[in-house]
Amino acid sequence: MAGLELLSDQGYRLDGRKATELRKLQARMGVFGQADGSAYMEQGNTKALAVVYGPHEVRGSRSKSLHDRAVINCQYSMATFSTAERKRRPHGDRKSSEMSLHLKQTFEAAVLTQLYPRSQIDIYVKILQSDGGNYSACVNAATLALVDAGIPMRDYVCACTAGFVEDTPLADLCHAEESGGGTTLSLALLPRSESIALVQMDARLHQDHLPALMEAATVACKGLSKVLDDVVRQHLQEVSVQTRE
Amino acid sequence: MRETPLSNCERDFLLKSIEAKKRLDGRQTYDYRNIKITFGTDYGCCTVCLGKTRVLAQVSCELVPPKDARPTEGLMFFNLELSPMASPGFQSNRQSELLVTLNRQLERCLRNSRCIDTESLCVISGEKVWQIRVDVHVLNHDGNLMDAASVAAISALSHFKRPEVAIQGRDVTVFSPEERDPVPLSVYHMPICVSFAFFQQGTYLLVDPCEKEEQVMDGLLVIAMNKHREICFIQSSGGIMLLKDQVLRCSKIASVKVSEITELISKALENDKRVRKEGGKFGFAESVAKERITVLTREEAPLEMTDVQATADEIISKADAPPEVVPSPVIVATGTGQVGEGLQSTWGLEDDDDEEEEMSDLTEREKKKDEVMVISDSEEEEVVILNQAGQSKCS
Amino acid sequence: MAVDMRLPARKQAFLPAIHSSSDGKHLVVPGDVITSDTGFMRGHGTYMDDEKLTASVAGEVERVNKLICVRPLKTRFNGEVGDVVVGRITEVQQKRWKVGTNSRLDSVLLLSSVNLPGGELRRRSAEDELTMRDYLQEGDLISAEVQSVFSDGALSLHTRSLKYGKLGQGVLVQVSPSLIKRQKTHFHNLTCGASIILGNNGYVWIYPTPGHQDEEAGGYYTSLEPVPLSDREIISRLRNCLLALAAHKVMLYDTSILYCYESSLTHQIKDILKPEIVDEIVMETHQRLLDQEG
Repeated sequence: MAGLELLSDQGYRLDGRKATELRKLQARMGVFGQADGSAYMEQGNTKALAVVYGPHEVRGSRSKSLHDRAVINCQYSMATFSTAERKRRPHGDRKSSEMSLHLKQTFEAAVLTQLYPRSQIDIYVKILQSDGGNYSACVNAATLALVDAGIPMRDYVCACTAGFVEDTPLADLCHAEESGGGTTLSLALLPRSESIALVQMDARLHQDHLPALMEAATVACKGLSKVLDDVVRQHLQEVSVQTRE
Repeated sequence: MRETPLSNCERDFLLKSIEAKKRLDGRQTYDYRNIKITFGTDYGCCTVCLGKTRVLAQVSCELVPPKDARPTEGLMFFNLELSPMASPGFQSNRQSELLVTLNRQLERCLRNSRCIDTESLCVISGEKVWQIRVDVHVLNHDGNLMDAASVAAISALSHFKRPEVAIQGRDVTVFSPEERDPVPLSVYHMPICVSFAFFQQGTYLLVDPCEKEEQVMDGLLVIAMNKHREICFIQSSGGIMLLKDQVLRCSKIASVKVSEITELISKALENDKRVRKEGGKFGFAESVAKERITVLTREEAPLEMTDVQATADEIISKADAPPEVVPSPVIVATGTGQVGEGLQSTWGLEDDDDEEEEMSDLTEREKKKDEVMVISDSEEEEVVILNQAGQSKCS
Repeated sequence: MAVDMRLPARKQAFLPAIHSSSDGKHLVVPGDVITSDTGFMRGHGTYMDDEKLTASVAGEVERVNKLICVRPLKTRFNGEVGDVVVGRITEVQQKRWKVGTNSRLDSVLLLSSVNLPGGELRRRSAEDELTMRDYLQEGDLISAEVQSVFSDGALSLHTRSLKYGKLGQGVLVQVSPSLIKRQKTHFHNLTCGASIILGNNGYVWIYPTPGHQDEEAGGYYTSLEPVPLSDREIISRLRNCLLALAAHKVMLYDTSILYCYESSLTHQIKDILKPEIVDEIVMETHQRLLDQEG
């Protein structure tokens, strides 16, 4: 990565964005007919697909069901063709398990699980193309899928990454910026109350820079939530017109 | 074996005491338990005791070909194991969530923060590099495995010395410790994890939760820092909602704790070095306290003793006079006595009538304070009492 | 054999916004504050956040006097007493069957709620428990009515009427529960020559009109006589029409299904599944329904 400047003198990044600019966001809800909820999301070059089934009876071992809440079951996987080099990823490997666990914890905080005792909600997310911000794309896609499935949630869950280069916080990192060795902060936020569902950071950062970095990530998440909001409202309009009778 | 769940009354008790800012073992909210770091006879072997939590870390190395993408860098491999020895709830073959979490966090804490100079591990670029392997075993689980594991791992890495190598062209000669002194690893900085447990949806937080507190907590925030106040990684887990100020506050607390712990580690390393040089005994055998009956040593709990007389007097003078009631035993059935009150029964299946009767009975009896009350619901026809005289009476 | 292939294209919602009084609809998304007025009662799809009534699902706000609730666009079946459901037996347990009905918990069919051969008032013996599998096995389809709702939301079903019971030969179509219109009766013998059961849970059962076999049923007798080709064609045509209507989110009831069937008679059965023809048929159906209303 030597020789590639993450932030040029004029303030432009590798892909021409400014420091606080987000990548182009496109999303579609109701992609699959057979699932209870589904969504497809593109954040720059990162493409994620999320499918939700539920709430339904707990399959498999009965002992996993909780008497007062719904169990959320998440599975995260990356397609073998998602990275530059084809890499076969077995399902149970540590990185996928860790991501699945984080997703599960994020949504347990946001979904009102007390309304569905003894049920199970399944969330399956797959990364079709990976260009940085995998976790954020998954969270955003899964939020849309949950809204599509009609599962009650406190608020949207929006996630975004942020980095730090030469005292400037960068929002929404792409793969080159993430692996450049700098700091990466992933933040999953409920925008209206600004409560953090998950915060995750790798690589060294001096403590004094932390507030600025978190602020940048928060602002990015809020911007993202506006886009998601638009997508949901548009979908609502379309679908509700049709069900009129 | 399945883990035994925490009983509801224990849970309520713990939550109530946390609200009153008290912890089970008397610590303050930001206090760590006693940390003891001991090194073994081999280089790279370290045991950390965090209260009752015990973790063992061992570092080893071998020569391997490097990764294609990075031919000049050494490799690091981390492995954490939870054995049923640590807690009956751990099962050796299953990949539990805790195992995955701890492993990934350890990896991220030590690898991504680049605490070790991997370039110095290169022997022949593109062909042979050192692979440093850190194995962490949990010996006893009493809460906060992450912190103990990170301290153990970084201490072991700082303690470890790898064999010296000589390169002649393409030939590599590895010298054994007897031939040449082994070389320590170059550790840039020491990242230490600090865990914060959150309770009641983030209203209360505790540092270094013990096992019971972990079972009651809502979520955990782990911050790894080094003494230069650089944050190496942050991870929040559990389904809690945090606010930005909470995270910032925790990072401030973490920086204080980390500097204390780093000092402890450096002192322990120094001690070990000194003992080895002086030729004294070192290793685990020395670190385990001998518990012989003739040795009357006990761990001392520090207590605030300044002005204790004055404070005690003050409290006594301010308090109300103690009530004059002499506890009179209540005999529920002949042959038994009851002093004091237990909690109200919460099974709540009694009829209202019985309750009223009992209430009226009690109020009558309260007037006769000095007498011993007998409330007998006993359905037994004959109850034998052995009185002081040794005679048996039938009632 | 030629295979029909096409590129994916965005579906256009063509149903005219005659109901573009949809401006009157109050659409909300999760997290939207509906009102800060404390005088309202909180219904489904909402939660209280600091004295403010906030929506928790994306949908339309419904206000009935003082009750505010949000109805999501898509949801699993939420049963109410009296609903007719078509379900599949998933488990045989002691003294009851578990029935999958596309709701959030499997429904329960108690042994005491079915009609056993031999009369209604027979006491359930231990023998009946052991022979439960002879009546209903895992995988059987039944039609039943909701008798009551348990406190956690599971439904208790009963088949104590001759029109309910095990279903024989026919075709099952699964659509979203919100598309089934609530009517007085859900069992229809359509004039086109087939019969249909519109389960409230979104499962629709199409079967050949039973000839002149009456009572024998009581539900557990499955006639395995071969169904004639003409009947089978009618049934498959109906199935494709149902899928077409469901794709355009038209409410399903006997009239709309019949109109759709009639509009589709000009096409071959297998063509009905093609998107252009679906559009055409649904458009005609919609038109006829509007004419009939107005």
